[in-house]
Amino acid sequence: MIIMRLNPLTIKKIKRFKSIRRGFYSFLLLVLMILSSFFAEMLVNSRALIVFYNGNYYFPVYESMNPGVKFGLDYDYETNYRQLQKRFKEEAKGNWVILPPVPYNPYENDLREDRFPPFPPSFAEKHYLGTDNVGRDILARLVYGFRIAIIFSLLLLLFDYGIGISLGSAMGYFGGKFDLFFQRIIEIWSNVPFLYVIIIISSIVVPSFFTLILIMAFFGWIGMTWTIRTVTYKEKAREYVLAARALGASNSRIIFRHIIPNTISVIVTYAPFAVSGGIVALTSLDYLGFGLAPPTPSWGELLQQGWIHMDSWWIGSSVIGAMTITLVTVTFVGEAVREAFDPKMYSTYE
Amino acid sequence: MSEYLLEVNNLKMYFPVYGGIFRRQTGKVHAVDGLSLKIKKGETVGLVGESGCGKTTVGRAVLRLYNLSGGEVFFEGDNISGMTQGELRLLRRNMQMIFQDPFESLDARQTIGEIIEEPFIIHKIGTAKTRRDEIEKLLSRVGLSGSAVTRFPHEFSGGQRQRIGIARAIALKPKLVVCDEPVSALDVSIQSQILNLLLDLQSEMNLTYLFIAHDLSVVKHISDNIAVMYLGKIVEYTDADSVYKNPLHPYTQALISAIPVPDPSERKQKIVLHGDVPSPLSPPPGCRFHTRCPFAFGRCRSEEPELKPAPGTRDEEHLVACHLVNSGK
Ligand SMILES: Nc1ncnc2c1ncn2[C@@H]1O[C@H](COP(=O)(O)OP(=O)(O)O)[C@@H](O)[C@H]1O
Ligand code: SF4
Ligand SMILES: [Mg+2]
Repeated sequence: MIIMRLNPLTIKKIKRFKSIRRGFYSFLLLVLMILSSFFAEMLVNSRALIVFYNGNYYFPVYESMNPGVKFGLDYDYETNYRQLQKRFKEEAKGNWVILPPVPYNPYENDLREDRFPPFPPSFAEKHYLGTDNVGRDILARLVYGFRIAIIFSLLLLLFDYGIGISLGSAMGYFGGKFDLFFQRIIEIWSNVPFLYVIIIISSIVVPSFFTLILIMAFFGWIGMTWTIRTVTYKEKAREYVLAARALGASNSRIIFRHIIPNTISVIVTYAPFAVSGGIVALTSLDYLGFGLAPPTPSWGELLQQGWIHMDSWWIGSSVIGAMTITLVTVTFVGEAVREAFDPKMYSTYE
Repeated sequence: MSEYLLEVNNLKMYFPVYGGIFRRQTGKVHAVDGLSLKIKKGETVGLVGESGCGKTTVGRAVLRLYNLSGGEVFFEGDNISGMTQGELRLLRRNMQMIFQDPFESLDARQTIGEIIEEPFIIHKIGTAKTRRDEIEKLLSRVGLSGSAVTRFPHEFSGGQRQRIGIARAIALKPKLVVCDEPVSALDVSIQSQILNLLLDLQSEMNLTYLFIAHDLSVVKHISDNIAVMYLGKIVEYTDADSVYKNPLHPYTQALISAIPVPDPSERKQKIVLHGDVPSPLSPPPGCRFHTRCPFAFGRCRSEEPELKPAPGTRDEEHLVACHLVNSGK
């Protein structure tokens, strides 16, 4: 078994990162947010966590749909666990239901007979941040919207890094005509008005999650490619690369074994900023209505609602608050990573 | 097969220089401009000259780390000047290099074990187990403990790093080793240790050295023959003793007179060079040394002196490129 030996330089960088309190705590918070969003079904869901009915246990969260009749109700569609919980309590036959902390899913419209949504925050109804203008729980939509945005950004990052690292290091390493050719391509590419293209495409077809990532990656690779090209170009001229060449190392060995490991700090430093960029991009597209198709939970769409329903202050302030917390934590992480990996070149925002 | 391990004929190495807003080529650095050199197997040739005169470029060009601008390089009788980098890769195990800067020439992200194992991996030699034994032997041969294997370059001193560089260079038992100022970045106190190590390795492994230095005193003990370089050209070539006892070229004489002598009564007249080394971008016409030579005369400014046997010497044992010397005055 190969135990990964961390380079002491890397260990030093990690130590330095940990010593930057603000960034390190932001990092922990961000990881917690991401991990809990992956288990969002257990925290924010209209399905119950556990149902105890006539001596049997049921776990509806990860089961297929349970029709109402299963629990002695008179309907065939999906059980309403919030009502079931009340009913079991009233019956007091020893049956019980445990609901997630937020007992709503991001799609259901919790409508009332006597009032029109949006409803303001209410602890009694467990709409902790209120509902939007069609009665959907805002917290539920924020949580699921966050999950989509973060997965979107990470996948986008993967695409951009894949293209950026392979093309950028090839350009910087081989130089010459190959480099010149792609430099021109990049120049042309970066002059294509990215937003217009997306708007045009979105007005023809409603983009799915993956087509939207592809469209974004179609433009997003440029930044990473350019950065990696520049650092590769610099590394290539260093003597340890010449030493490897003098030993007879092949080009691919030099690139993968020497140059990329030595540019890793640039690659890592870039990541948090790419993530926040991805979140902002998706939110803005959704806000403009050119992003993911409704009713996908989306911060951009909530932001738009907040803008239209200014008097329902809880909509706008919830989403702005969530965005601020997310972007600030990501920025703090990014800043600390940058500081830890390259303390000479940058200073923190004061 | 030729008696020479390395033969260099009329080597030229020019580097393009770009300038202006359009990044057009505005000139070229004449780093090496018509240099010829032969090294016999098992011999050491010292290459000496001021910094910037093109020594490193010669070392890298003979190993074909560059594509030559002109001339030929023969290694073991084979012309390697036209070979592609791919064709050269297999040959590289026979010709190695020790670098001037022991900090820059080791990859900071590799352990010492990985650094020394790399030549074996590249040339697919041995198994993981035999390599590990080899690495241990190499480390102890260059005077480092086996525990170095898992450590990283920055944990070592300059001298120790240079030992690591040497271990890597000799790992595959090369025939030719270009030593590019291997001690000039080191403390004087450890220079002689490294030089002795190189001498021991040479006799053990029958290595051939092209030994580069900017200082005559360093190459004195280690070289059989010494070539003195000025601005991309060899100005004098002879055996190590004659360089000291009978320097003929005015530039060599100036270098010798700059070496401090322990006994002041022995002091000869000191030749002090005035002016700066001219730019290799536009080397002066005629003799390249004429702008600083105390003996320069009319012919020196227009006609380039050839490197040829000095009057009164046999064969090719003492070559000089100077009108004054060659005309026998
Ligand atoms: N890759 C290069 N590109 C452009 N100029 C170079 C390059 N390498 C060396 N030179 C120039 O060639 C000349 C000789 O350099 P070098 O061989 O390093 O000298 P030395 O080793 O004797 O100090 C110098 O003027 C240097 O600036
Ligand atoms: S050729 Fe003339 S200038 Fe050159 S070294 Fe000889 S005397 Fe001096
Ligand atoms: Mg040099």
